[in-house]
Amino acid sequence: MERRSPLAMLRHWWVPFSASSVFVVSGHLLIKSGLSAAALGGVSGPAWVRVFNSVLQPQVAGGLIVYLLGSLCWMAAVAQQEISFLYPLSSINYVLVVFASSAFFHESPSVRRLSGVALIVLGMVLMNRKSRGSQQ
Amino acid sequence: MSPKLMIWISVTLSAVAQIFLKQGLSRLQQNRNGGGIGSLILGVVRQAYVWLWGICFVLATALWLLGLQKLELSYAYPLVAFGYVLVNILSALFFHESVNRNRWIAVAVIGLGVMLIAGS
Repeated sequence: MERRSPLAMLRHWWVPFSASSVFVVSGHLLIKSGLSAAALGGVSGPAWVRVFNSVLQPQVAGGLIVYLLGSLCWMAAVAQQEISFLYPLSSINYVLVVFASSAFFHESPSVRRLSGVALIVLGMVLMNRKSRGSQQ
Repeated sequence: MSPKLMIWISVTLSAVAQIFLKQGLSRLQQNRNGGGIGSLILGVVRQAYVWLWGICFVLATALWLLGLQKLELSYAYPLVAFGYVLVNILSALFFHESVNRNRWIAVAVIGLGVMLIAGS
């Protein structure tokens, strides 16, 4: 068997796709936890100063980098699979973020909020399935 | 400005940014006459729409961070899906892309989901 670089794994679409989900979700969790920490520290002042301060916060900065990595992985996945196939799958990110928020930040999403997320997932599946059938 | 309004403006700016980027890149494709990577980069930098995309992107990120500081993540994050609704409407308006009826139904379902979350 020939030797392959670990990057060769990126050629299976589901590898960069799953990586993008993990990075996008964990990036947002990091950003939120950093922002909450900054809020507790009582940072005040004009909006641009607060943005600047929060971006310098290690967790927020780290979260933004992780999120950027997620976007790059998404592009790698899009390069191999149709976007109409990937979009409905990517709606799993909304579900994961909501569950992770309740697990890590003790947020308790209401039934109403959970139904909203379910409708978003349904809408994304509908959007891409139907347009596919009728466009080609 | 309330944190909720910041999140809405941020999501709207991200959708508008997509439209600017699309416009910028298709202009670029029209005006391109060969050349290497250098001329491609120069072309991107000279394109005003690409700059507009960048400005919207930076503003959207700043507003997102400001708004998210005060809001629950399970509230703010799903509102990003409103971007799909806006992108569909804006593409139909500005690029005259044909959006069929089934697609509008899907857009309405997403919109309804977003409205439920917005009021939660």
